[in-house]
Amino acid sequence: MPDSYPDLLKGLSAQDANAVLALGLPMTLLSGAVLFQLGADADQLYVIERGRVNLTLPMQVFGQEQDILVEERVAGQTLGWSALIPPHRFTLKATAQIDTEMVAFQRGALLDHFAAHPRVGYAVVGNVAATVGQRLQVFQAMWLREMKRGLELSRGAGSAV
Amino acid sequence: MVMFLMALSLSVFGLAMTALAFGAATRSQRAPEAPLKPRLELAPERFFGESHPSFHRSPNIPLEVLLLQIERHVRLEQAAAESFIHLPSPEALNLRTQSPLAH
Repeated sequence: MPDSYPDLLKGLSAQDANAVLALGLPMTLLSGAVLFQLGADADQLYVIERGRVNLTLPMQVFGQEQDILVEERVAGQTLGWSALIPPHRFTLKATAQIDTEMVAFQRGALLDHFAAHPRVGYAVVGNVAATVGQRLQVFQAMWLREMKRGLELSRGAGSAV
Repeated sequence: MVMFLMALSLSVFGLAMTALAFGAATRSQRAPEAPLKPRLELAPERFFGESHPSFHRSPNIPLEVLLLQIERHVRLEQAAAESFIHLPSPEALNLRTQSPLAH
């Protein structure tokens, strides 16, 4: 399979990958446009063809709610995997950082295709699991680093008292 | 008449004592209270520790600059975490970044 295929379709033959891509609908997001909100129903999965999308979480900074960058997704990457994973709600907010072109896949269309082609479904869901697992591992490491920093700070504060 | 009043007052007194004894007996037979469910004390919601001293804005730093610092911090931390995942080791996990919010 050529490298130009997105990570969602890794491990598929060109024919199978094209069949999945044919299920998607192209869409364009202008810079600053919100693709989905935190907590919204997730019924579409997206693959970025060109551009960049920020995934953010809200945080109170000095009394004002701000969107804090959690992750960036670029061309070839998948976002919105909550569409395939229950309870089908987005756990982040997605905003186009620059003008972005992507392909949107309806959950129903994907699941119907996977039911008819289980081998394709197995590969695609495996790729989604890899994306989910990678995020888990990154955040696990980030959380541990923050916890270590917090412990160092509290130890410093304790010794200062 | 006196006998009647005496009998009546004794009856009322006996009735009152019976009521008190019944009340005390039923109080002690009350169903045991439901076992206390352990309460999970949740910390206030926050994603990155707001109490981090570096997050305390100096009056001279505009909010936009602070937000950019946070964004840079997240990018650097994510890169550090990804390099740890690529080649896991205690050293890689504890690698310091150049983020001003990490010092």
